[in-house]
Amino acid sequence: MKFWGIRLGSIALAVVAALLIGMVAQQVGTTGSRLIALAGLYVTLAVSLNLINGITGQFSIGHAAFYQVGAYTAAFMATQAFAGRPITATYLLMMIGISAVAAGIAGLLIGLPSLRLKGDYLAIVTLGFGEILRIIVQNVQQLGGSYGINVNKANPTELVPMIWLLAMLCIAMCRNLLQTAQGLSFLSVREDEVASGAMGVNVTKTKVTAFVIGSAFAGAAGALLAHNEGFINPQSFGMDVSFIILTMVVLGGTGSITGSVVAALALFTLPELLRDAPAMPLNGIIGTLVGISMLVGVIKLAMDNRSLGREVWSSRVMAGIGIALVVGVAASFLTNMIPALANRTIAAAELRMVIFSAVLIIVMLLRPQGIFGHREFSLAALFGKRLETGVRA
Amino acid sequence: MFEPTLLVAELNFSALPQQILNGLMFGAIYALVALGYTMVYGVLRLINFAHGEVFMVGAYTALFVSWQMGYFTGAEGLQRASNPGVLILMLLAAMVVCGLLGFVIERFAYRPMRNQPRIASLITAIGVSLLLQYGGALVLPVSPPRSIIEQVNPYEGNLTIPIVPKDQALGVKLEEARQADVAAKAALADAITRAGVGSEFDLPESDEPIRDAALDSRNKLREAEFQYNKTGMSLNIPRGQGIMVLTTILLMAALSWLVLRTKTGREMRAVSHDFDSASLMGVDVNRIVTITFLIGSALAGAGAMMCSTFLGTPLTSFVGVMWGVKAFVAAVLGGIGNITGAVLGGLLIGLAETLVVWAGGSMFKDAIAFVILIVVLLFRPGGIMGSAKVEKV
Repeated sequence: MKFWGIRLGSIALAVVAALLIGMVAQQVGTTGSRLIALAGLYVTLAVSLNLINGITGQFSIGHAAFYQVGAYTAAFMATQAFAGRPITATYLLMMIGISAVAAGIAGLLIGLPSLRLKGDYLAIVTLGFGEILRIIVQNVQQLGGSYGINVNKANPTELVPMIWLLAMLCIAMCRNLLQTAQGLSFLSVREDEVASGAMGVNVTKTKVTAFVIGSAFAGAAGALLAHNEGFINPQSFGMDVSFIILTMVVLGGTGSITGSVVAALALFTLPELLRDAPAMPLNGIIGTLVGISMLVGVIKLAMDNRSLGREVWSSRVMAGIGIALVVGVAASFLTNMIPALANRTIAAAELRMVIFSAVLIIVMLLRPQGIFGHREFSLAALFGKRLETGVRA
Repeated sequence: MFEPTLLVAELNFSALPQQILNGLMFGAIYALVALGYTMVYGVLRLINFAHGEVFMVGAYTALFVSWQMGYFTGAEGLQRASNPGVLILMLLAAMVVCGLLGFVIERFAYRPMRNQPRIASLITAIGVSLLLQYGGALVLPVSPPRSIIEQVNPYEGNLTIPIVPKDQALGVKLEEARQADVAAKAALADAITRAGVGSEFDLPESDEPIRDAALDSRNKLREAEFQYNKTGMSLNIPRGQGIMVLTTILLMAALSWLVLRTKTGREMRAVSHDFDSASLMGVDVNRIVTITFLIGSALAGAGAMMCSTFLGTPLTSFVGVMWGVKAFVAAVLGGIGNITGAVLGGLLIGLAETLVVWAGGSMFKDAIAFVILIVVLLFRPGGIMGSAKVEKV
């Protein structure tokens, strides 16, 4: 009875939360509601990639491919089969279903053969698959070629809650999976494939399941993207989108659902804040980058030297900050000495990918397990209670 | 729409030897870049994702050196000096700068990650690659107006090797058609002056047969040219590309001497065979890794310089992505970690690309490398020369 109470309660809470987000979206205008919708899509993408990358440990870096399969399936259905149908909630649900199935099948097709591969090789195959798909779509005229497809936009009052419901469904699914015995097999495959195989886990089945579930969610997100943007083209599913999603997962901590959600929201919001920022001088940017990398280097050195006492440690870090300041300022002056680069300004929006990549490197150097590591946010931990039953991730 | 362009009847077989030669010349550059991937993978078991960006930096270094030597855009009065010295200087500068960049990347991004899981260093590599791409986009000029190929390359013209002589009867026909075309054009020009109008389309109705005759003769000339060119076989080697292939062969010979005949080379092979045992046997592993990065990156720099000088690839800060990925595919195809395999793989990839273009699938030129990659990984994961290793528990 208590179990069902909690279950139904949380479902009701999720629906209410999604409707609340929808109401907020209504208040903030078209641009704002589009951003809220995109944020939800990125949460779904990051959490679904986390299921493949973080929880099952299969290194896939072509997640945008499944996103693309979903978006194009929905766009193709919307313009060919269901042209002229009013876009209602039922219609959107149907689109989500069809796209999820299509992307899931794509995930199955990729997952089955690539299971023979591990680590780096699997990464390259997923990347290659994404590129092949993009090139093919670019050259098929029925799919709009490199121009893309126009889709009728959905009404934000229905779309935004649906996007966030999808995100919450994805989170709930991953979280609940980890509480079950089946979920344990995902974790064991990540930790040691050979050992889990020896313990009776069906490694192949586990990997394929993770791949299919992850890509199906990405496909569902793609379907909603098509109806949110009203327009899709192959360029919006390039390698850089895959890398952005990967950055979100890695930054948050591979395996941590909380981490993926937080990182997805943070990394999505950051460039949007930069969009309105004024242009910045180039020498300042280069100075800052050089300074930060010096600082990271010094901290890394101090971290690696575990025998240092706390006082020595903090004095080293203070010295590092000093060195970083000096070197950064020197670098910015040096940049201004080069005639071609002197007094140039850079629009803040162009810095987006530079910041992403710098964050990626710094996090990897200082905290390879990501910000949250394998930990999860939970109410019980927040109030100092210890969980007595259930499987902890 | 997929047109059945791959009909055998439409293929121009007389152009095949030339295409094969072009493919091999392209492949030489892929091989040079692939060597860097394969050497780094050999010693560290790490895919150096930033290798393509090292290539990009090498191409820009060559460009900047050529600018410094006075071959600057807009220097109209400058004689196109047949000076191989400038080329050698560009080559050396590109190799030195790339070697240093490779050293810096290894020292500051990869070495601190060596004790972390492989995935962490892979993500760092992706981060470095993205940082160089998007950071480069902020400061580097995009496709400088006149590519260096027009300015610096002193080796113009083709070296023609006839294989099968052209059909003389068709040659006579071509000459006749050409004369008829000249006559028809003269008549048309005459008619235009007589009528006193601006262009052939303003001619009065009475003169239309003259215009039609001129059009007709032009078409006949094209047809005759097409027929004539289809007969016979000859190989055209642009002299610059001949120099390029010779330099590549020299560099590869130097590399194989270094790896097979010197003490450093023996240490390199030892590290590649077993990292830990080599270090126990007194090999300075860090020194070997540094040397490997220096050499591999310098080879990429040499490839980049020759590619931008003799092939005229347009330069952007993203030019390294495709070259890098294809060279990586070449390395995997040959058997990653195997030096001979990388050369073989590079040549095969170059060949495959030109043959796809020859067969009429030019839009799938970029996809073929990935298709080859996936097929190789699925059916022979060890590559052509390599052998798949059995995992020991």
